[in-house]
Amino acid sequence: MTGFAVAVDIGGTFTDIVLRHNDGRTWVDKTLTTHGDLLEGFFRGLDGVLADAGVAPQSIDDVVVHATTVVTNAVIERKGPATALLVTKGFRDILYIRDEHRYDMFDAQIEFHEPLVPRASTFGIDERTIADGTIAKTVDRDEIAALAEDLRERGINSTAVCLLNAYRNPTNERQIRDILAELAPDLYVSLSSEVAPQIREYQRCSTTVINAYTMPISEPYLRRLSELLGARGIQQRPLIMLSNGGVIGAEVAGRFPVRMIESGPAAGALVASHYAELLGLDRLMSFDMGGTTAKACLIQDRQPLVTGTFEVDRRYRFKSGSGLPIIVPCIDMIEIGAGGGSIATVDDLGLLKVGPESAGSEPGPVCYGRGGHQPTVTDADLVLGLLDAANFLGGDMRLDRAGAEQAIARLATKLGASLEETALGIYRVVGESMASAARAHATDRGVDYRGMPVLAFGGAGPVHACYVAELLQSDRIIYPPLASVLSAFGTLVTPLRLDLARGALGRLAALDWAEIGELIDEMETEGHRALADAGCPSAAVRLTYGTDMRYLGQQNEVSVDFARSPVLSRDTATMREAFEAAYESQYGLRLSDSEVEVVTWRVNAHGPSASRERRVDLAAQPGAPKAERMVLFAAPAEPVPVYDRAALAAGQEIAGPAIIEERETTIVLQKNWLAQVDVTGCIIASRPSAKGT
Amino acid sequence: MDGIELEILWSNLISTVSDQARALQRIAFSPVVREAGDLAAALFDAHGRMIAQAVTGTPGHINSLAAAGQHFVRAHAPETLRPGDVLITNDPWLSAGHFFDITVFTPVFHHDRLIAFFGSTIHHTDIGGYGVGAGARDVHEEGLWLPILKLYEAGLPNETLHSIIRRNVRTPDEVFGDLAAQVSSARVGTERLIALLDRHGLTDIEALSEEIINRSERATRDAIRQLQPGTYRGESHFDVPGGSIVSLKSSVTIDNEAGEILIDFAGSSEASPIGINVTINYTAAYSTFAIRSVLNPDLPNNYGSLLPIKVSVPPGSILNCQYPSPVNARHVVGMYVPMPILKALYHVAPERVLAEGAGAVWTIQIQGKDLAGRPFTSSMFNYSGGMGARKSKDGPAATCYPTGIAAVPIEVLEATIPIEFTVKELRLGSGGAGAQRGGDGQTIGFRMRTRDQWLLNAVTSRTKHVAEGLDGGLPGAPGRYRINEHSVSEARKITMAPDDEVLLETPGGGGYGAPPSGPATTPPRVVGK
Repeated sequence: MTGFAVAVDIGGTFTDIVLRHNDGRTWVDKTLTTHGDLLEGFFRGLDGVLADAGVAPQSIDDVVVHATTVVTNAVIERKGPATALLVTKGFRDILYIRDEHRYDMFDAQIEFHEPLVPRASTFGIDERTIADGTIAKTVDRDEIAALAEDLRERGINSTAVCLLNAYRNPTNERQIRDILAELAPDLYVSLSSEVAPQIREYQRCSTTVINAYTMPISEPYLRRLSELLGARGIQQRPLIMLSNGGVIGAEVAGRFPVRMIESGPAAGALVASHYAELLGLDRLMSFDMGGTTAKACLIQDRQPLVTGTFEVDRRYRFKSGSGLPIIVPCIDMIEIGAGGGSIATVDDLGLLKVGPESAGSEPGPVCYGRGGHQPTVTDADLVLGLLDAANFLGGDMRLDRAGAEQAIARLATKLGASLEETALGIYRVVGESMASAARAHATDRGVDYRGMPVLAFGGAGPVHACYVAELLQSDRIIYPPLASVLSAFGTLVTPLRLDLARGALGRLAALDWAEIGELIDEMETEGHRALADAGCPSAAVRLTYGTDMRYLGQQNEVSVDFARSPVLSRDTATMREAFEAAYESQYGLRLSDSEVEVVTWRVNAHGPSASRERRVDLAAQPGAPKAERMVLFAAPAEPVPVYDRAALAAGQEIAGPAIIEERETTIVLQKNWLAQVDVTGCIIASRPSAKGT
Repeated sequence: MDGIELEILWSNLISTVSDQARALQRIAFSPVVREAGDLAAALFDAHGRMIAQAVTGTPGHINSLAAAGQHFVRAHAPETLRPGDVLITNDPWLSAGHFFDITVFTPVFHHDRLIAFFGSTIHHTDIGGYGVGAGARDVHEEGLWLPILKLYEAGLPNETLHSIIRRNVRTPDEVFGDLAAQVSSARVGTERLIALLDRHGLTDIEALSEEIINRSERATRDAIRQLQPGTYRGESHFDVPGGSIVSLKSSVTIDNEAGEILIDFAGSSEASPIGINVTINYTAAYSTFAIRSVLNPDLPNNYGSLLPIKVSVPPGSILNCQYPSPVNARHVVGMYVPMPILKALYHVAPERVLAEGAGAVWTIQIQGKDLAGRPFTSSMFNYSGGMGARKSKDGPAATCYPTGIAAVPIEVLEATIPIEFTVKELRLGSGGAGAQRGGDGQTIGFRMRTRDQWLLNAVTSRTKHVAEGLDGGLPGAPGRYRINEHSVSEARKITMAPDDEVLLETPGGGGYGAPPSGPATTPPRVVGK
C-alpha cells in the first residue's frame, strides 16, 4: 500500500483538490470549475496535484472522496430532463398547492416557484392506501402499462412516484415500479417510499421529484467518474459526500441524488466537527464568511447538528419557505446575506444598511477595480486597514484603495459621518447582522450559543470573527490551516455514513412493536448493504437509532438518539424520559400529563471513523512582524504589527491588536485577544478574561 | 443618534422580539400558532408605545397588539407596577378581537426603573364557552372574558385568576403551557434587552424610542405625501355563513398637508347576529396592514409608522361592533377589510395593489367516533381559495391573502382522525380571466370512516358574491359547499350521516386588466403548460 488519498470538492466557482499521504504530507490545488463538463475540472485538478507531488495515479489506493455541486446546479438552473410524477388520483396538483402557505405576509407581489414537474406531466393513478397502511385499492396493471407507453411517446425518461400514505405502506408504489421496470426498463423511477418515507405528502413529493429530476444527471455522472478513475489506473471506487455529513458509495449516491444537495457545505461543517474532536471542544460554531454569504453551523457534542428538513433554490435567497422543501437529513446550517461583497447603503430612514444585495465576485467590491461602484464590506475592510491593498491574494490582485474611499465617502456624506466612522459602521453593522442571524439559528434549535468557541474560515471569516465572537459572548476563536481548500479537506475526514428514516405515526403508549421491528430491520439491512457497497465490511458497521417524537397535539418534533435499537428493549418509559429531557433542554419545560407520539423512526449506519492525521509544517523559530500598518479599530487609527502566518512557530503567542496574513485571508486580531499557534496548525485566539486572569 | 448607532440598536431590538416570537411559535400547543404563526410579539417603551415588533405573525394580531399597549398603560400606570408583575387580557375590545387570543404584557425593570414592556398575543387552544365557530348569540356565550388583570404579582402567581382560568377552559394544561411560554419568552427578551443596553452604556430606551418613533413617523408621512391627494373609494361585497351579504365600504383620504391617511368605513353593513363581528382595533389592524403593504412595506412596524394612519368606523357597524355582539369568528369578516382599501388605493398606486381574492380561509372542525366507537374532536383545519391578480403577475392559486395560513397535510389529518380525502386539486379556470389571471381555488372532497353520526362545522364564504376583478379583469368563480351533491349554506354545526360525502370548492381570485382577446373567447390558462 502506498497510502495516498485524494479529495475533490467541486463548488460554484472553484474546484479544490487535496492529496494526502497517510504519513501526513498534503498537497493542495485549486482550479476553476468547468461548468460545461464538471469532470474536466476534476481531472485537470487531479492531474495537476499528482504532478505537483510527483505521484502516479495508481498510487492512490486509499480513498477517493468527492463533493459536488452537480445536483444543486441541475435544480437551480432547471437543467434536468423532462420528468413525470405519478400521484394518487384526485391529488394531481400537489406541487402547485404546496402547503398553501404564503411565506411573506406583507408582500402582495409574492411569487412562487414553478414546480419541477408541470401539471401536464403529472398523472393520477387509481389506487389508494389508507392511513393505517391498509390497501383500499390495488394498482391496475393495464393503467400503468398505458402510462408507460404514454411516457415513452413523450420522451420522458425519469418519473417520481408519490402515493398518499405510501410512507406507511410502500406496496402500491413498488408494484408500479415493478410493472414499469418490466415495460419501460430504461425509465428511472424514484419512489417516495424509498427516497423519503415520511408523513406529509407535499414535502415527501417535493423531495421525490427533486430526486427523479436529477437522477438522469447524477447516475451517468457518477458512473463516468468511476470509469474515468479506472481508466487512469485508480482502482478505488469513489465515495460521495452527502448532505448529512457522511460519505457513501457512488451507486447509492447515484440513486439518491437528493441526498447530495448540500454536499460541499456539509463538508465544510465536517471540518468544524473534525477540529472539535482534535482540540477536545464539545461545542463549536463554524463561521464561514465568503464573498456573497456567510454560513454558520452549530457543533454539539463534537457533531454538527443535522436537520430533517431544509430547502433548495429559494425564490428569495434568504427567505425561509420560498424554496423547494426536502426531507432528507442535512447538516443544519444557516446562510446569511452577509459577505465581503455585501453592499452598504443608506435607507429612507437614514440608517446604514449592509446586504443582502451583493456585488459578488463580478463586478465585485469597488476596490477590485472591475467596474463595481457601490461600497461593500471588503471596501470598508480595506479603508480600515484590515486588508492590505498590495497583499491581497498574496499580492496577485492589487486593490484600489482610493476607489474604495471615494465610494464610502459618498455614504458618509448621506449619514453626516466621517469616512472612518462610516467604514467602521459597515464593519460593525455586518458583524451585528451575522451575530443576530446566528443567535436566531441557535434560538430556533434551543441551543445556548453563549460562550461557544467559533471556528472562522472563508475569505472574510477571519477578518470579522473577533467582532462577531464578542457579540456572541464567545471567548475563543479557532483559525484552521488550509483555509482555502477546507471543504475538500473536510471530505477526507468524513466517515462513511447513511441516515435512514421511516414515518410511522404511533402513540408511545400503544406502539405496534412488530411493525416497528420490521421497519428497523429494513433500515438496518439497507444501511449494511450501502456501506458494504462503499467497501466497509459488515462487522465494522455501527448502527445508531433515533426517533422523532412530540407531545400529542404539537406539530414540532424533537429528535432523540439511542445507542441500541429501541425494539430490543421496547422500553417506552426510557424513550419517554429521553424525549422529555431533550424537549426540556430545548423548550425549558416538560408537559408530563401529555401523551407522547412517535412520528419517525431513524437508523444511521456509520463506518469506522476516518482518523487521518495531517502533518503541519510550522516554522522552527517564532516569526517576527513583517511590517506595521495603520489600522482603525476605533478612532483614531493605530499602528498594528503584521505577521505572515507561514512564518509562525508552534506555541508562538501574538497579542492583539495584530494582523496575521495568509494568501487567501487575513486574521484580524482585535484588542484584548491573544492568539497562540497550536501544534495542529490552528491559530487559537482567546480573550484573557476566559483564561482566568 | 447617528444612522450607524441607531441601525445597530434598532436591528438588535427587532431581532430580540423576533427571537421571542420564534421561541413562542415552536413551543405553542395551539395548532394555528404553530402552523400559521398566529401570534405576535413586540417591545413597548415605558409609555406603552410599540417600538419593535417581530417580523412574523398575522396582521390582525400584530397591529392590534400595538393598540393593546396603550390600553395596558392606561389601566395600570407604569409607576404602580413592580418587578415580577405580569399583566393579561383577552378583552376583544382591548386586544385581538376574540377571547381565544390572550395578550400577556410584562414590564421590564432596569436599575429599579420601569423602562419597557414585552408583549405577546397568541391564539390559545380553548377559552371555554361556545368553542370554534360563529354560532354564539352574544359575546358571553363565547367563553371566559379576562379584563386587564395581573397574572403574576411581584413574581407570584395570582392564584384566584389562575384557578378561574383553570376551571373555565377545556384544555387547562395546554392553556397554562402556552401562558407559561408567553411569560418566559418575555423573560428571555428582558435579558437580551438589558445585555444590549449594558453593551452600549445605556440605562433606558427613552432616547432610542423617541428616535425610532420620530424617524418612522416622518418616513411614513413623507411616503404619504408622494401620493396623489384626494379621497378615493372602494367597496367589497361577500356572503358569509348563513347566506347574508356583508358590504364593506371605505373612503380613503390622502391628506398631503398633514401627511396622513384617513380610512372611513361609514356605510358598511351593520353588526351581525352571528359571531362574525369585528372590534374596531381588529379593523384598524387590517386597515393599517393594507396601507402599509402598499405604502412602505419595508419600513418596520411601530407606533410611529402606524400613527399617520387613522381609521374611523361608526359604532354598531360590523367593523366596530358594540357589546354584547358575538365576535368569535371575526376573521371571517376581518380578512376582507383590506379589499375595499386596496380597491380605493388602486386609483393612486395601481401597480402595488391586488384584485379581490377568495378572502377568508375556509375552516373546518369535525367531531364524531372512529370505527371502534372511540370519540374524537379534530382541531380546526383550513383551506384557501385563490389570491387576486396583480398588475404584472397572476394571482397565486390556493393561497390566501391577507392571511397566509398553511394547510394541515392530508396525511397528518388522515393519521389523526378517521377522515378519508377523495380529492384535493385545483379548480382550473376558477380564477378570474384578465391580462393577469386571478388565482384558482381548489376542490376538496372527504368522507369519514365511521359507523356513527358525526358533526361538521365548516365556515365558508364567497359562495354567492364573487371576488371582483380590477381594471377590466373578470371576477373569480364563487365557492361551493356541498354535502352529497346538495348545496349547503349553514353557519352552525351540521349533524351528518355516517357515509355522507362533503365537497368544498373554494373561490377563485379576481383578474387584473382586460383579458387579452375578450372574455368570451379566452380559455382558462392551464397552469404549468
